[in-house]
Amino acid sequence: MTSTATLSPLSVAARVAVTIDGLFATIDAWRDLLQAHLEAAPTPTAATLDPIVEAFAMPALADDGLITGAGFVAAPGLLSDAQWHLAWWLAGTRGIRRLAAIDDPSSEQFRDYTSLEWWRLPARTGVRHVTGPYVDYVCTDDYTVTITTPVAVGGRLLGVVGTDVLVDRLERELLPLMRASGEPIAIVNGLGRVVTATDSRLEPGSMLRLDGLTEALEPLRAAEPARVEARLASGADVLACGDTSLALVVGS
Amino acid sequence: MPNATGHQDAARSVVFAPLDGAGRAELVEQRLTDAIVSGVLRDGERLPSESDLSRSLGVALVTARDALEGLRDRGLVRTRRGRDGGSFVTYDRDSAARMLESRVRGHSRIELRDLALHVSAIAGTAAEIAADRASQDDIESLLSIGANADLSTAGGARRALGRFQLEVAAISQSPRLVREEVRLQSEAGPLLWLCLREQEYRDSSAASRTRVIEAIRAVDPPAARAATISQATAALDWLVREKMRLEASADLTRQGVR
Repeated sequence: MTSTATLSPLSVAARVAVTIDGLFATIDAWRDLLQAHLEAAPTPTAATLDPIVEAFAMPALADDGLITGAGFVAAPGLLSDAQWHLAWWLAGTRGIRRLAAIDDPSSEQFRDYTSLEWWRLPARTGVRHVTGPYVDYVCTDDYTVTITTPVAVGGRLLGVVGTDVLVDRLERELLPLMRASGEPIAIVNGLGRVVTATDSRLEPGSMLRLDGLTEALEPLRAAEPARVEARLASGADVLACGDTSLALVVGS
Repeated sequence: MPNATGHQDAARSVVFAPLDGAGRAELVEQRLTDAIVSGVLRDGERLPSESDLSRSLGVALVTARDALEGLRDRGLVRTRRGRDGGSFVTYDRDSAARMLESRVRGHSRIELRDLALHVSAIAGTAAEIAADRASQDDIESLLSIGANADLSTAGGARRALGRFQLEVAAISQSPRLVREEVRLQSEAGPLLWLCLREQEYRDSSAASRTRVIEAIRAVDPPAARAATISQATAALDWLVREKMRLEASADLTRQGVR
């Protein structure tokens, strides 16, 4: 053993949470901004809202951090000049571009975004949701985690605001922390899908199939991460990463 | 000698072939024709404007205009001027049948077989990997595509088939398979799934969806692959039979038997 400083699994969970919490805080600030605007504007329009979204999305994307997509998606009917509206920007190899969304419901390519997980879940629960990892073929066209938070005024849902994060980048950020524990660790979402793992055979995107894991992750799916605490039959421990809806599976 | 690498040079020349001009307008025209003939774009449906079309397809405005003109010349769209104007699909059964015939006969058996093989490779692998990687939520979303499928029309059945295969590719968690699936759907889909014009094949496409879902639920990758491929094979068989039937009747006409 040459490593001098090792991190306990609990500190790894806490550090993972800190990384993701940074994104949550960013999104929450955007939500506050939008809510303030929407409270003051009785009949909001895409024309007035888009510049506000662009003003926070562009710098976030230009900054070479975790964020690869950012924006606001309006509740259908919210805006008087656009029934369906996505104000979403993406960073790619060719610079930052606005997502070209089909907002005409009669079009063949139109997708009702209210049926997609990143809309459906926060709309139903009223709290933020982490979608993925998944292949986001609507926006980034890549392997992505999408974080969305409801924007609501007076209890009425007006839209969701959020970011896309490429799983590659998340892995680059989190894997060194996990390795520092010296133990085999996998980060999984509430469904048991692997975000990343120290075991090279455990691929991001695969399902971690361990007896009792589905049950152990149930509190994550119910948005009550504080209840996660389990030792599986295999001897592996399951630890929630703060309130990020991700968990560590430690040991094998 | 330079010819020793002839095939490589041919591949290179394709890479650097100009993308603009007549070739592109034909591609756009072919894609829209396929969508109209196969029923994905419905009779009377308004097409996007020239500028929207050029933007969404990433081609020059003049290219989109040329493509629409080509469709107009072949009687597949009609243009109305004025406030409620635009280009509208005109689905004339006779002209659509002629179009289908020339499309099927325009490909050799070898090309059709190759197309089906390519689709099988991508969709089959996606289904195989999806069977290992699907969550309970994923299975629910596959079921809902089946439940919402409109099997009463060819277009409805093809939309359901396309959405299902795209979702399966997404469940495989592979961005490359998803991109290839999207590309293949626009390239091969209109031709390969022509059998969906017949109710029998629309029903069997639903049955095949059920088999794929069952295999994914049972975490049985080989069965998911096999069920996906057998559907593509059945579509190919129909296509080749149809091609031979059309050719045989053309031969008879030529020989003056009919």
